[in-house]
Amino acid sequence: MINKIKHWILWVALIGILAIFPKVFGAYYTNLFVTFAVFAVLSVSLNLLLGYTGLLSFGHAMFFGAGGYGTALALKHIEGLSLLPAFGIGVLSAIVLAMILCPFVVRVSGTAFAMLHLAFAQLMYVLALKLRGITGGEDGIGNFPIPAFTIPGVVSFNMKGAPESFYYFAIIVLGISVWLMWFFTKTPFGQIQVGIRDNFKRIDYLGFKVPHTKAVIYIVAAAFAGVAGSVYALFHNLVSADGSLGALVSFAPIINTMIGGVGSFFGPIWGTAIFQIIEELVLRFTDRVELVIGVTLVLVIMFAPMGFSGLITMLKQRLFSASSHKLEKI
Amino acid sequence: MDPTTSMYVAQGIHGLAYGMVLFLIASGLNVIFGMMGILNLAHGAFFMLSAYFCYQVLSITESFWIALLLAPIFTAFFGILLEKFFLRKVHVMGHMGELILTVGIAAIIMAVVKIFWGTESLHIKIPPILAGMVSIGGLDYPSYRLFMIGLAVVVMVIMSLLLYKTRLGKIVRAAVSDRDMVNALGINIPVVFMVVFGVGTWMAGVAGVAIAPILTVFPGLADQVGMDAFIVVVTGGFGSLLGAFIVSIIFGLLSSYGIQFLSQLAPVLIVGFMAIVLAIRPHGLFGVKE
Repeated sequence: MINKIKHWILWVALIGILAIFPKVFGAYYTNLFVTFAVFAVLSVSLNLLLGYTGLLSFGHAMFFGAGGYGTALALKHIEGLSLLPAFGIGVLSAIVLAMILCPFVVRVSGTAFAMLHLAFAQLMYVLALKLRGITGGEDGIGNFPIPAFTIPGVVSFNMKGAPESFYYFAIIVLGISVWLMWFFTKTPFGQIQVGIRDNFKRIDYLGFKVPHTKAVIYIVAAAFAGVAGSVYALFHNLVSADGSLGALVSFAPIINTMIGGVGSFFGPIWGTAIFQIIEELVLRFTDRVELVIGVTLVLVIMFAPMGFSGLITMLKQRLFSASSHKLEKI
Repeated sequence: MDPTTSMYVAQGIHGLAYGMVLFLIASGLNVIFGMMGILNLAHGAFFMLSAYFCYQVLSITESFWIALLLAPIFTAFFGILLEKFFLRKVHVMGHMGELILTVGIAAIIMAVVKIFWGTESLHIKIPPILAGMVSIGGLDYPSYRLFMIGLAVVVMVIMSLLLYKTRLGKIVRAAVSDRDMVNALGINIPVVFMVVFGVGTWMAGVAGVAIAPILTVFPGLADQVGMDAFIVVVTGGFGSLLGAFIVSIIFGLLSSYGIQFLSQLAPVLIVGFMAIVLAIRPHGLFGVKE
């Protein structure tokens, strides 16, 4: 009972902090927080594949990019499109892309899966760079109109030039995404996912269809990457090949996940936060961010290979076993 | 020879030269990634590092040949340090650990290079002996590119002889297929792997020096060529020298003829080829299913 009350208090506190965040910290940190939230959702969606299903993808950026380009192109070419449909088109294009790729990728796993994704992601990246007429090449698509968020007859929030209302839109959309993914991993279907990771032959033997299951998870992960990409494009009012389709966008969530802890749901969020904080702090003193991040990666993998979540678990266990020792002595 | 044919031939040799250099880098990566199973994303960074070493040695000694000799050796030395003190410890964690470590190392190399040499492109002169043109069947062709092709062929022949004709090669191939068993037979596996890793980075180093006079030396080399090499290894099949060779040549020709006919879309051809090959054969052209 007390636990439940604590639980609710925590939730209310979290929502409260998120609600007053832009008022307290100002525009700069609000923007920083939106960037963090976008990459946190991308990392969590990657972790659905990596941590929960054991599929390493080197090309998750293509769904991020599909979401971004889908939204940007829709807003550029369709007059008077409102915000939610544009956002929906972005997510839908990521889902469609995933559905096209499904038949190829669900048959393989391990290194081949990673490499196949590298190939498709590079193809997308190069296409976005070279098909200037559609995607704008290196410049990307910028300055597309950003419509107001309207529920007809109820409310209308202006989004363009109103970072605060965009903040609320982004946080609500991304927050719901994280909650949905959390919910997804807790369903029986999500448990089959973990089963596939640990022993897919046994899951197959139990009568579940492994390729079909993988396909569904794949599409779900792609859809949430598309959500992140779409919000990111709206946030910057720009979508570019390097910013949303490049190899770095694929590697960043993998690294975030590893640094945060690959086995846990919240690990990727920790990882994203840690990187954002490091980058922010380092930029204050020097512009050699690359060096600091490189050293951080090497140190983490050498001394705390289980990531941040693993470190916390280890510390907890140490404290726990220490206290149990004391009890025995008494 | 009429101008059209000679243009096609010239483009062909161009593509062959790029394909050969690609093969040099890719075969180094193939030895490390394909055979030893170490996912090394810092390979491109070593390649770039060697090009910078070449610049440095060249500015001290003014001899391209000394640079060609020394720069790859320095590079291999750093590669061995990486293997001995870092990679060996994270190898037990599988590809993920190696991925994080080598991405970190690549970032460090990149930052250090920027600190020492700055970010602008550095020019390296083609050695005087190779600066001229060679006439082949009525067609003038820059002799440096022919030298590049020759160098790659020599390195490839040495590599294949080492791998398939010597005792060391036998040990390496055995160690790749069953590490524990070879270890139990009294062969010092860690040393073997260290040497193999060194040879792999040495080959990246040779390629870095060979390509430096053509492309100029700049930090972007690592991403640009490193990614191509990675794609070659993946498309050719892990551990297959023949696959890497064929795919490098195909890529070289695709990019040179592609630029001629499609200009903008040439890179699409290369990655499109990769995507199609992998969609049909997920383990690469000559890869064996694990």
